[in-house]
Amino acid sequence: MSLNTLLILNIRWIIRDRILQALAAVSLFLIMLVPAISAFSMRQTQELAVTLSLSFVSFTLLIFALSLGSTIVWRDIERRYTYTVLSLPLDRGGYVMAKFLAVALFLVVAAALVGSCSFIAIFISSFKYPSQIPVQWGMIMIAIFMDTLKYMLLAAIAILVTTVSTSFFMPFFTSIAIFMAGSASQEVFEFATSEAGTRVSGVVRLATRVIYYIIPNFSAFNFKLQAVYPIPFDPKQISYVTLYFLVYTALTLSAAVWIFSRRELT
Amino acid sequence: MTFPIEIESLAKTYRGKKRMQVEALRELSLNINQGEVFGFLGPNGAGKSTTIKILMGLISATAGSARLFGTEVRQAAARRNVGYLPENPALYDFLTGREYLSFVGKAFAMTDGAIAERSGVVLEQLQLTDAANRPVRSYSKGMVQRLGLAQTLLHEPELYILDEPMSGLDPIGRSLVKDIIRQLKRQGKTVFFSTHITADVEAVCDRVGVIAKGKLQALDSVDNILRSGVEGYTVQINGGGDLAAHGYTQLEEQGGMREFLVPKDQFNDFIAQVAVEDGKVELIETKRKDLEEFFLEIVKQGNVSA
Ligand SMILES: Nc1ncnc2c1ncn2[C@@H]1O[C@H](COP(=O)(O)OP(=O)(O)O)[C@@H](O)[C@H]1O
Ligand SMILES: [Mg+2]
Repeated sequence: MSLNTLLILNIRWIIRDRILQALAAVSLFLIMLVPAISAFSMRQTQELAVTLSLSFVSFTLLIFALSLGSTIVWRDIERRYTYTVLSLPLDRGGYVMAKFLAVALFLVVAAALVGSCSFIAIFISSFKYPSQIPVQWGMIMIAIFMDTLKYMLLAAIAILVTTVSTSFFMPFFTSIAIFMAGSASQEVFEFATSEAGTRVSGVVRLATRVIYYIIPNFSAFNFKLQAVYPIPFDPKQISYVTLYFLVYTALTLSAAVWIFSRRELT
Repeated sequence: MTFPIEIESLAKTYRGKKRMQVEALRELSLNINQGEVFGFLGPNGAGKSTTIKILMGLISATAGSARLFGTEVRQAAARRNVGYLPENPALYDFLTGREYLSFVGKAFAMTDGAIAERSGVVLEQLQLTDAANRPVRSYSKGMVQRLGLAQTLLHEPELYILDEPMSGLDPIGRSLVKDIIRQLKRQGKTVFFSTHITADVEAVCDRVGVIAKGKLQALDSVDNILRSGVEGYTVQINGGGDLAAHGYTQLEEQGGMREFLVPKDQFNDFIAQVAVEDGKVELIETKRKDLEEFFLEIVKQGNVSA
C-alpha cells in the first residue's frame, strides 16, 4: 500500500523532470539518425546499424541509470523533502525500494521506447542495404533486455552509494568508477590469472581477484556481438546472467535499505 | 496511563567532522498530557528541533527514550496518529497542493473519498483553495508553510507536533495559526509546538517548557507563571499623610494625587496605613513580569549555570 503510494510519487517526479524529458527527446531524435550514419560505411551497413543502435540504446540507458540512480535519494535529502516524507508513517525500507522500482520501471519504459525506435532504424538500414545475414531480431531484443538488467543493477549500486553520502558528486563518480571497473573486470581478471599475468606481482593479482568478485561483472550482460553476427551461444547463459542480476541487485538493495534505515536525517 | 508524548532522559550529541561534538540535548524528561497545548519555548539553538526530530524518528537519540501514544518513536507506527510540521518545511514542488495532500492522505491510509473531502476542508481553512491546483513550485514561503499546516490537519490526528509553526508567516497567517491551535484545543486534541516567541505561548498555551542549552530550565502552566510573576502594585492615593516616611517608594506626585510602588508582600500593610492616614485609594494596577521577562531570566540563569 505505502510502497505503491511512494512508487507513484517517484514515477510522477521522474516523468515531470524537465531535464529527463529533454534527454529522452534528444535520444529518440539521435537514434533516427542511425540509418543515415550507417549508410556512410558502404559495406556491412546492416551490421553497423545494429551495432550503432545497440550502443546507442546502451548509452541512453547508462545516462538515465546514472543520473536517476545517483540523484533520486540525494535530491530528497538535499532539498529537505526527507523531513516531510520520512516523518509520515512509512518505513524507510519501502522508501528505498520505491526509489529503485521507479528508476527500474523508467529504464524498462525507456528501453522499450528507444529499443522500438532502433528497430525501425535497423529495419530501414537492412531494407536499403540488405546483407547476406538476416537480421537477428530475437537476439537484438535479448541484447537490449540484458542491457536493461545491467543498468538496473547500476542504478541499484548508485542508490546504495547515495545512502551513505550527502554530496552529489561522490555517488555519481563512484558509480561511474564501479561501472568502468565492472565492465573491464572480465578482461583484467583473465589477464591476471593467465600465464602472462604471473609476471605481475602477487599483491596486484590478489587485489584483482578480490575486486573481480566484489564488483559486479557488467561485461557478463553484453550480448551485442551475438546480436550482430549469428554466433552460436548457450541459451542457459541468459538464465545464469538473469539470476546473477537478481542476486546481486537484491544484495545491493538490502544493503541500501539497511544503511538508510539507520541514517540520521539531520 | 499513556501520554501522547513521553520523553525520558533524552540526550543527543551530534558528532561532526574533526571529532567535533555538540551536546544538543541533555537529560530531557517531559510528558505531554492529552488535550493540552504545550509551548516548547527556547532561544535559537536550544535543542527544540533536535527534540522534535527524535520524536518523529528522523534522528536517533544518543541516550534515553521517547514514545508517542506508548509506541517507541523508532517505529513508523508511532507516527500514525500525528500531524507534523517541520521547521521551514520543504514540500515536493513538482506536485500541486491538492496532489501533495492526496499523497499524504494515502500515506496515512485514508480512502480516496476521505482524502477528497478533507483536502477541500483544510485547503479552505488555510486559504489555499485558489492555489490548490498549482504546483507547489509556484508557492510563496508563507503558502508552503500553510500547506504544511494543512497536511498536519488532513487526517485529523490526535497529536500535532509543530516546529515553529508561526515562523515565515505574516500577521494574518500567524493569527490564523493561533485560531487553528485554539480550535484543536476545543476538539480535545494535543498540540506540542516549539517557538522562540513568548507572545505566541501566552496567546495559546496551557503549559510551557523553557529549554536552553539542551536542558529543560522550567516547566509550568502559563497561568502559574503569570501569577507568580506579580511583583507588586502601583497604587494611586488621594490625600493621606507622609507615606514615604514609612519606607514606601513614591513614584509621582500631581496635584493631590500621589503614586506609590508597593511590593506584593507589603500591600496589606500599605493599604492599612493609607486608611490610618485618612487617604483615599483611587487606582490599583498590578505590576507583573510578563512571560518574556520570565523567559529571558531563565535563559540568563541557564547560561550562568551551563
Ligand atoms: N546536524 C547537526 N550537526 C551538529 N550540530 C547540530 C546539528 N543540528 C543541530 N546542531 C546543533 O545542536 C544545537 C541545537 O539545535 P536545534 O535543535 O536545531 O535548536 P533549535 O531548534 O532550538 O533552534 C545547536 O547548537 C545546533 O548548532
Ligand atoms: Mg529549530
